[in-house]
Amino acid sequence: MSDTTEPSALNQPEITRRTFLFWGWGAFLAFLASSVGSVLRFFLPNVLYEPSQKFRAGKVLDYPLGVTIDKANRVWIIRDSKGLYGMWARCTHLGCTPNWFPAEARFRCPCHGSNFSAEGDVIAGPAPKPLWRVQVTQTPQGDLLVDKAVMENRPGFRDKAPFFINV
Amino acid sequence: MFNKIDPKKIFEDLTNTQVWRSMFRGGTWKNTSRDRAQHILGNVWLHLHPARIRRRAVKFTYTWGLGGLSFFLFLILTVTGIVLMFYYRPSPELAYRDMKDLEFVVSLGQFMRNMHRWSAHAMVLFVILHMVRVFLTGSYKTPREFNWGVGVVLLVLTLFLSFTGYLLPWDQLAIWAVTVGTNMASATPFVGAEGPFASLLGVGLKNDARFGLLGGTTVGSATLVRFYVLHCIAVPFITGIFLIIHFWRIRKDGFSAAPIENEPPQQKVEVWPNLIVREYIGAILMLIFLVGWSLLQNAPLEGIADPNVTPNPSKAPWYFLGLQELLVYFDPWLAGVVIPTIIMIGLMAIPYLDPDANRGVGFYSFKERPFANTVFLLGLFAWFVLIIIGTFMRGPNWQWYWPWESWLTHKPPPPPTTVMPLAVGGGLIGLYFTLGMVLPLLIKYQFNVPSTVKKILAGSILLALIIGVLPSFSFIKGAWVGFAVALYTIMGILLPSHYLKNISRVRYVVCMALLLMMIGVFLKVALHLGFNVKYIVSVPQVSFNI
Ligand code: FES
Repeated sequence: MSDTTEPSALNQPEITRRTFLFWGWGAFLAFLASSVGSVLRFFLPNVLYEPSQKFRAGKVLDYPLGVTIDKANRVWIIRDSKGLYGMWARCTHLGCTPNWFPAEARFRCPCHGSNFSAEGDVIAGPAPKPLWRVQVTQTPQGDLLVDKAVMENRPGFRDKAPFFINV
Repeated sequence: MFNKIDPKKIFEDLTNTQVWRSMFRGGTWKNTSRDRAQHILGNVWLHLHPARIRRRAVKFTYTWGLGGLSFFLFLILTVTGIVLMFYYRPSPELAYRDMKDLEFVVSLGQFMRNMHRWSAHAMVLFVILHMVRVFLTGSYKTPREFNWGVGVVLLVLTLFLSFTGYLLPWDQLAIWAVTVGTNMASATPFVGAEGPFASLLGVGLKNDARFGLLGGTTVGSATLVRFYVLHCIAVPFITGIFLIIHFWRIRKDGFSAAPIENEPPQQKVEVWPNLIVREYIGAILMLIFLVGWSLLQNAPLEGIADPNVTPNPSKAPWYFLGLQELLVYFDPWLAGVVIPTIIMIGLMAIPYLDPDANRGVGFYSFKERPFANTVFLLGLFAWFVLIIIGTFMRGPNWQWYWPWESWLTHKPPPPPTTVMPLAVGGGLIGLYFTLGMVLPLLIKYQFNVPSTVKKILAGSILLALIIGVLPSFSFIKGAWVGFAVALYTIMGILLPSHYLKNISRVRYVVCMALLLMMIGVFLKVALHLGFNVKYIVSVPQVSFNI
C-alpha cells in the first residue's frame, strides 16, 4: 500500500511528445474540417436578388369561375362556387410547370406525368405532395394580394383564410 | 555558289543543332528498334505507353480503342469548349443571344457548337462502352481494382460535365433540365429541404444542397454563373486529376490486362508503331465522323428559357432519360439520389466482391464468369430499356405512346394510384430481403442452371396465363406477376445459391444486398405499371416513401 506514490506535479513530465502530437494533429484536423465547412458556407449566398414573391393580381371580383392562369407570376387563381384561392404553378415533384386541362379537370405535368385535381391533390403520377396554395388577401379596395412566400397544402388549413377568400 | 539542295541533308543538320537536340532527345531518327522505344519513352505525350506491349493487347477487337477514344473526345471537348468561351457570356440576358450569334454571325460558330455538343454525346457513349468492355474482359481484377473505382468516378464526372454544360445555352430544355436536376438535390436525404429527415436537422429552402447549387431559390443569373464555372473550370479540373490517376495506374499496372501464362515476354511487340498507329487511325476516323456529323446535323437549341412554360413533354438528353423514367416510379430522393449513389458504390465494390481474381482476365468469356456477367448485363440492359422507354414511348404529359402512335391521339388520363398500408408494405419489404438473404444459403440442392432456368421460365409463363384469365385480373397483370416471379427466383435465389454461397460471409451479404436492391427496382416498376401501386411504404411525416 505504501509503495503507491502520489504522482507529484514535479516529477511528472509536463507534456509528453505523444500528447503534444495528439493535440497538434487534432487541432490541425479540426482546422481542416472547419475550413471545409466554411467553404461550403461560402456557397450559400446571404443576399438574394430575386423578385419579390408578393404582388397584386387585379380585382377579386373580376376572376371568372374556373382556373385563371397568371403566367407572369407563375400562379393559378382558381374560383369555385364558394370562393377563390391561389396555387403556385410549380409541380411538387421536381418543379416543372404543369398545364391545366379543362376537359379532364386536372393539372398535368409534362416532366414525369404527375396529375393534380383543381384543389391541388395528387390524382396520379409520382408527385409526393399536393400543390402548394399561396396566401391570398383582399385589400379594402377589392384588389387581390398574393404572397407566394406564404404557403400551405394541408387539407383543412388550406381552405381557410389567408389561403381562401369567400366571395 | 550554293550546292544542290538536299532535303535529307538539311533535315539532318537541323536535327543535329543544339536547339533541336535540347527539345527532342536522341537526335536523328533511324527507325531502329532502339529508336522506336526511345521515341515512346522520351516523349511527354507518348510515354504514357510502355515501350513494348503484349501482342494480344494490341488487337483491335480486344479493347476497341474505347478508352483512348474517350480521352480523345475529352480533348476535342476541351479545345472546342475553349473556343466557344470566347463568344459566350454567362448571363440570362446574353447567353441565349450569344447562342444565336454563334449560329448566325460567328464564322464556324455553329460548327464549333455542334462539335462540342456531339462530342459530348459521343464521350458519354464511349465512356459507357469502355466500362462495359473492361467489365466483360475482367480487366478490373487485381491489381486494377482501384483503377476501376477511379473509372466509375470518371463516368460520373462525364455525366456531370454534360449536366453542367446543359444549362449554358439558356434555352427551354436547359432551364427545365436544371430545374429538375437541382430539385433532385433538394430531395437528398438530410441535406435537401424536401428530402427525408431534413426537417429534423433544420435544413430548409435557404440552406440546403439545392440552394448552394443554384445560388438562390430559383434558376437565375446566379445559377448560370455557377454552372458556367462548374462546367468550364471546376469539373474539368477535377476530371483532369482523376484522368491523371487513371492513366498513371494503367501504366503502372501493365497497360491492358491480358493473361500472362501463355505468352513469354519476348513475344511482346513494339508500341511504336504497332499500337500508336492504331490509336491514331481510330482518333482520325472519330474526328472525320464528328466533323461530318457536325456539318450535317445542328446541335439542338429550343426557344429561350421561360420559367412559366414547360415544353410538353419535357425530355432530358438521352443519357439522362433512364433517370427521368425512373423518377416516374420512385420518389425523387430514391430515384435521383439514393439509387444512383448505390449504383456507383455497387459498381466500385465489384472488384472487391469478386472472389476469384484470376478467372477470365483478358478475354471475353461468359463461361468463366457467368454470374458476374449476367448481373452486370442485366443492370446495363435495365438502364437502356429505361432510356428507350423515355425516348420513344413517352408523349405529352409523359403518357405512354407507342412509337407508331400519333401524339395527337387522345389517351385516357392515367389511373389513380394506391399506397400500401404501412404494415403490409413494410412486411413485404422485410420478407423480400430476409428470404433473399437466407434462401440461397439454405438450399443444398445443386441445380443444373440452364435446365432449371428453363423450368422456372416455363412455370412463370404458365402462372402468368392462369392469373391472366382470372376474373378481375388481366393478361397484363398476369405478365407482370410472371415476370416478377421469374426474376426473383432466377436472379434472387437460383443463381446466388449456385454461384454465391461459397464466398465469404461479408461478401455474400454485400452482394445479396446490392442484388436484391437491383431486383427490387424492377419489381417496384412492375408494381407501378401493372398494379398502380405508388408506394410500398410511406411515412409522409418525414417525407419517406418507397
Ligand atoms: S416535375 Fe412534375 S411530374 Fe416531375
